[in-house]
Amino acid sequence: MANKNDILQGTLVLLVLRTLSVHKKLHGYAITQHIQTVSTDLLRVEEGSLYPALHRMEQAGWVRAEWGTTEKNREARFYSLTAAGRKQLVFEQMSWERLTQGVAKVLRHA
Amino acid sequence: MSWRQRIANVFRRGKLHRDIRRELAFHLAERADDLRARGLSETDARRQAQRQFGNFTFQIEETSDMNLSLWLDSAIRHVRFAARSLARSPGLTVAVVTTLALGIGANTAVFSALDTIVLRPLPYPESDRLVTLLQTGANGLVLPLAPVRLEDWDRMNQAFDGISGSYEDDATETSGELPEKLLNSHVASGFFQVLGVAPELGRTFSPEEERMGGAPAVIISDSFWRRRFGADPNVTSKRLRFGAESRAIAGVMPASFRYRPDVDIWMPVPRGVPWAQNRYFTWFIGIGRLKRGISLEQARANLGTVQAELGRQYPDTDRRIVPSLVYLKDFTIRNSRGSLWVVYGAVMLLLLIACTNNAALLLARATKRQQEISMRFSLGATRGSVTAQLLTETFLLAAMGSLAGLLAAAVAMRGFREIAHGFPRVDELRLDSGTLLYTLGCAVLATVFCGMVPAIRATRRDLRESLALVSRTQVGSRHRLQWSLVGIQVALSMTLLAGAGLLIRSFQELARVSPGFEARNVLAFHMSVGWAETGNFEPWRRRSETILDHLRSIPGVEGVALGPLPGASIAQLQELTLVEGRAESEPKLNAAVRQVTPTYFATMKIPRLTGRLCEETVNLRTGMVNRTFAEKYFRDTGIVGKHLQTSFGSVFGSMEIQGIVADSREDGLTVVPAPTVYPCVSSVYPGTNFLIRTALAPGTMLATLRRKIAEIEPSRSVYDMEPLEEHLTDVSSQGRMVTAVLGSFALIAIALASVGLYGTLSYLVNLRRREVGLRMALGAARGQIVSKFLRLGLLVSSLGCLAGLALAAGTTRLLRSMLFGVSPSDVLTLASVLAMVLAVTTAAALLPSFRASRVDPARVLRDD
Repeated sequence: MANKNDILQGTLVLLVLRTLSVHKKLHGYAITQHIQTVSTDLLRVEEGSLYPALHRMEQAGWVRAEWGTTEKNREARFYSLTAAGRKQLVFEQMSWERLTQGVAKVLRHA
Repeated sequence: MSWRQRIANVFRRGKLHRDIRRELAFHLAERADDLRARGLSETDARRQAQRQFGNFTFQIEETSDMNLSLWLDSAIRHVRFAARSLARSPGLTVAVVTTLALGIGANTAVFSALDTIVLRPLPYPESDRLVTLLQTGANGLVLPLAPVRLEDWDRMNQAFDGISGSYEDDATETSGELPEKLLNSHVASGFFQVLGVAPELGRTFSPEEERMGGAPAVIISDSFWRRRFGADPNVTSKRLRFGAESRAIAGVMPASFRYRPDVDIWMPVPRGVPWAQNRYFTWFIGIGRLKRGISLEQARANLGTVQAELGRQYPDTDRRIVPSLVYLKDFTIRNSRGSLWVVYGAVMLLLLIACTNNAALLLARATKRQQEISMRFSLGATRGSVTAQLLTETFLLAAMGSLAGLLAAAVAMRGFREIAHGFPRVDELRLDSGTLLYTLGCAVLATVFCGMVPAIRATRRDLRESLALVSRTQVGSRHRLQWSLVGIQVALSMTLLAGAGLLIRSFQELARVSPGFEARNVLAFHMSVGWAETGNFEPWRRRSETILDHLRSIPGVEGVALGPLPGASIAQLQELTLVEGRAESEPKLNAAVRQVTPTYFATMKIPRLTGRLCEETVNLRTGMVNRTFAEKYFRDTGIVGKHLQTSFGSVFGSMEIQGIVADSREDGLTVVPAPTVYPCVSSVYPGTNFLIRTALAPGTMLATLRRKIAEIEPSRSVYDMEPLEEHLTDVSSQGRMVTAVLGSFALIAIALASVGLYGTLSYLVNLRRREVGLRMALGAARGQIVSKFLRLGLLVSSLGCLAGLALAAGTTRLLRSMLFGVSPSDVLTLASVLAMVLAVTTAAALLPSFRASRVDPARVLRDD
């Protein structure tokens, strides 16, 4: 499962979980838009990574998906967070912090 | 997503694809909308969106792969990876698979025996409604039923669909070239209906055939049908001849019908036959089928009422009789239940030891692989996936082990059938789907047991733990678990050894017992005789005498007698009355009654103590008693010259006691002689044993004896001809089987425990090489190093032994009923087992300890 987009690969799950924890129910496109907007265009979610990631998260039981219609009356798949997903978010956040702190320390000393 | 959905996805790829396509199409449409809002033209917006998205089809593949690959491919990947990593360490793989194969194989074999003999219902429709019926007299003796009483019960009860019964004797069939001895089962009316088994060919007895004076008929067994008639389908038009009587063959019972194995033919006993009217008779083993919804208790109460009514009608014979009801299954398997559960317990311990051993091995392996595992964590593997990987490895091992175990079980089962002929129902034994399921269950349990602990420990995301690994000199608490596993193995092996040791000691004790008779050079056999022949007494007595005289005249024969099979015939106690009268306050005269010829005592070398020998000329008019009887009831010689009467006294009259003989263990070598009365007979009766004392080895006399009997009694067959000593071996076959099984399990167990101790200590020595080198560099002596490791090993094995002793104290008590002359807490046995375990484990610990002392300090320091 080698993926070219390594930086995002590790953190995409975290970003999606976090997004869904704020907005209860979003479709895939809205998730990319939200991440892009909130990060003031610093982060861009590749569709090629997003959908596989969403499906994997669904299998892990972190998100739940169901079909619905948008305000523009289009059929879309809406994702929302499960209890397991909420727990995972905490865990991912902690390891992210540990990683950034570690990297920061290394950068400071090396 | 549920598992069901996940599996459904595999089969409904089409729908999944459509779903994904819809979702991605929506995404494209949204993006195009956005672009259009920023002022792009319709076509440009769509093209731009498409370009940004990349290869649409590829996206679909990539996304749906998440569904499939994650749950199927990853499983296959795990298995493939596990296979590769196991192939890299063939030693460990072979060790684990072999132990598991042994453990699971033995377990499967024993389980299927337990399942077949004890757990599975008997092969009759609704067999849980079948009950064996007997009668208990006032003296507490359980005896077969009188024919009339059986009929009364069947007529008067409200609890049974039907009550019937059967008893066996020999029949001589004379329509063939040679007379053939057949085991003949006499059955009361409705016998086959009660059991619910129909003949595979022909029919059961018709009312006409079950009527007094009706058409004579016979039903034959499957094996007799094949042996005698070559499975002829027209056999029901044939007849069999028994002496003067010819009987039509009504049907053939199926091979699966084994109510009494070895029965060749069944004949009806008509209701109300004049020769079966005596209420003192004890002939029938009754069999009843409970009505639906009636419990054994209700049936017992109902028959109790019936019998009470009979007691009022026939106070002399029936007043003190109580019906005895036992489920047919319990009656069939009798005491095999206990020994099989003991063996099953032992084999469970063995599997437990095997699993513990494997857990220790895998733990050591996981520890060695800690670096690989840390690496995987740092590459983003989750704990679940690493655990899954480790468990897959264990499962693969368990699967290989079970497969090998299944083969081992097939072999073991064949062996079991050989050595376990003392058990009922062994011929039903086979590998079936239930057994396979059980093996699978064992494999899963073994995986969980062997693999869980190492997997959990190895994947603990614990910083301290990983750091501990880096500094290899550090010896953390992790070894405590490994040592506990070794200790458990030692303890469990100790338990098994103690059990096996006690059984072996019990057999030694048994060999030391003086049975009171001499079994060497005695040949025993039966001759086919039917009860009907013995009715006309005087001619029959003369004929018997001729037979015995002819046998006596054979050169090389030193003595000929009739009697029980000493050491192998169990006699029920009966209550006798003293004709001269006996005070009510004196104990009742309960004794085993064994009919013998006067020559019995000389032939079996049972010495006469007082009085004279009973006389041969008058049947059942004189008798002997054994010493126990005389001492218990008559303070030595008081009995000689007095008259005793059995409960059949009204039929046979009383006998005068002529003398006292020494005790002998006729009930079995393990059984203390009961008070015994020997009525002296001079004629042969059905089922009696001929006992021939020979000058030379009895095996050499077989042909001569057979020829002689064929000369004088051409229409009789002789069977079960075997030296008495071999009969005695057969009797203890069940005990021997349990001892052999437990003994071999115990040896395997101690071997496994030693391997475990050796492995763990070697591993530890390896791990602490650096420390040892350093110590030696600082001047530690070799001896110190050796004793350091040896002490560690011995500490663990002694603790294991202590725990094992406690465990053994609890479990050997279960063996009590199988032991003879040894207490379950026999100090000598336990001490020698303890010594053995300590010796073996010390040997296992010595090698790694010596290896530790060979560490070259210079090399260790250079390596660092």
